[in-house]
Amino acid sequence: MTDTKEYSIAELMGAVVARQIRNDDVAFIGVGIPLIAGIVAVSTHATGAILVYEGGGIGARTRRIPWTISDNPTTDNALAAVQMWRVFSDQQRGFITLGIIGGAEVDRFGNLNTTVIYGTDGTYARPKVRLPGSGGANDIASSALRTIIMMRLRKGKFVNRVQFVTSPGHLSGPGERKKAGLLGKGPAMVVTDQCIFGFDDNTREMYLQTLYPGISVDDVRQSVDWELKVSPDLKEVEPPTQAELRVMRAFDPMGFILGEKSADRSESFDDFFNSIRCGYESIQLDL
Amino acid sequence: MKDAEDKCMNLEEAVSRFVCNGCSVAYGGIAGREPMAVSYEIVRQRKRDLTFITDTTVDAAEILIAGGCLRRVECAYIWIGVVGVGHNYRRAVEQGIPNHLEVQESSNYGMSMRFMAGALGLPFMPVKSLLASDIIAHNPDIKVIDDPYGSGPIALVTAAHPDVAFIHVQRADRSGNAQIWGMLGNDDNLARAAKVVVITCEEIIPTSEIRKIPNMTAIPSYCVSAVVEVPFCSHPLPVAGYYWMDIPFRREMVNASRTREGILSWIDEWIYGVKDLDAYREKLGVVRLDKVRQLELDNYRIPFIATKELIR
Repeated sequence: MTDTKEYSIAELMGAVVARQIRNDDVAFIGVGIPLIAGIVAVSTHATGAILVYEGGGIGARTRRIPWTISDNPTTDNALAAVQMWRVFSDQQRGFITLGIIGGAEVDRFGNLNTTVIYGTDGTYARPKVRLPGSGGANDIASSALRTIIMMRLRKGKFVNRVQFVTSPGHLSGPGERKKAGLLGKGPAMVVTDQCIFGFDDNTREMYLQTLYPGISVDDVRQSVDWELKVSPDLKEVEPPTQAELRVMRAFDPMGFILGEKSADRSESFDDFFNSIRCGYESIQLDL
Repeated sequence: MKDAEDKCMNLEEAVSRFVCNGCSVAYGGIAGREPMAVSYEIVRQRKRDLTFITDTTVDAAEILIAGGCLRRVECAYIWIGVVGVGHNYRRAVEQGIPNHLEVQESSNYGMSMRFMAGALGLPFMPVKSLLASDIIAHNPDIKVIDDPYGSGPIALVTAAHPDVAFIHVQRADRSGNAQIWGMLGNDDNLARAAKVVVITCEEIIPTSEIRKIPNMTAIPSYCVSAVVEVPFCSHPLPVAGYYWMDIPFRREMVNASRTREGILSWIDEWIYGVKDLDAYREKLGVVRLDKVRQLELDNYRIPFIATKELIR
């Protein structure tokens, strides 16, 4: 039915993040591609992983993609449905082993900005671009045992120092998180649409770890504002498997999560209804 | 509870009685169970200069901003998400259109703990979030201290006591015992922190039905001042066990929001142009509402509870 030889970059990113979720993880799932990456993980290699959502859903197994971190499917066939304060407290207590978050601007130590872009003469009160704010990203970045960042690689968005630290990464280097009183270990990886970055154990600086097909080291260097270091063991990414693609396409048949700019689409309500219903009717849950 | 107070009223009355110009307002729910119909009614009644206090609110906050009702937000996240950008939030903060919006921000856990402090009757709560972030630099109400017991830096957030909270739930009785299914958000604490609580619900049920499943009662009646039965209160957002998200409707609202003129004509059509939520539902059509309900009930029902057929 679906051609799994071809895949989109968003599907590749979804698969890459899904593979980072281990069978014994308790994973805090953020908005966007992580919503589907979590479902891919528990439907394929990590059936024991527990997905936790900010609204209070714990361990959901659903035939529908949650479109937000508090959508109805986040408690569909769940193990528990609790409060927002409770899941964040569980995180502060150390139960959340992995957090996945996104950002609009990131720096070489993995600090994230989702608050404001100042522009040339902007201020906090009247910035050039106002962004949504932290949501739970600051909390996840502070206290999840390890975190993964997802962001598209664009010139001007991978900078030396973010304009506004919404969510702390490794701050300005080794030892800084502990000194600040932060509980989690900070970002382990940045998954982009062109490559994957890791963080050096000693300097805590972001370095190039894995390339996607057709992307060169120079391409990546041109999009990054600092002198980028490259792993001596540079790898090429594994493409999504058929199983991973099948899950993504069944759960997101209209590409709301994995498509680009869904506000531009203009399907009718009936197209939406029929496509979503066919999508979930094709899914058998093995609980 | 035959002698319990009957707190039922209609939405128009609840908004006009409890929302005064210049007061602070909070909503329950997060993307799900947001009381959209309350935002429509606040805009329809042209309330002004409100302070909106929230962890995360999406469309219901965008509508209040677009309607020119807010002067200030205390929040962790205001946006649309999935289907697009928070154009109205951006326009207000970046350009002062329709009016400048003052932002005091925190994180979801920071706001959670503000509601918890309010609910516990304590002046503040400590959190291990927000440390070393620039959020603190722009929010004078967050204090970082050294733990007097020696564990290092810790952030303090101040109690929130909104003047009025609107919390939309699945079921409530006429005195305000409110039952929530699915995610709870911070609604248990918000109900205890706010000075006045208005429960809106999909269905009013007898107290005898509440008693059959008391663990589902997140909010007891003694926290509650008023109860309003508002079926499809959250449309186009979802309510667990009742209906799923109407994405095409949200997309139209987001597209209209790209320009100030666009959202004003959307507001004319969907808020000023309809008298109340009955008229809004009629304009949407029974068939469409049936379908968003089907997308939910095919997957997710509240066990042991017969959901009243509200349409057809």
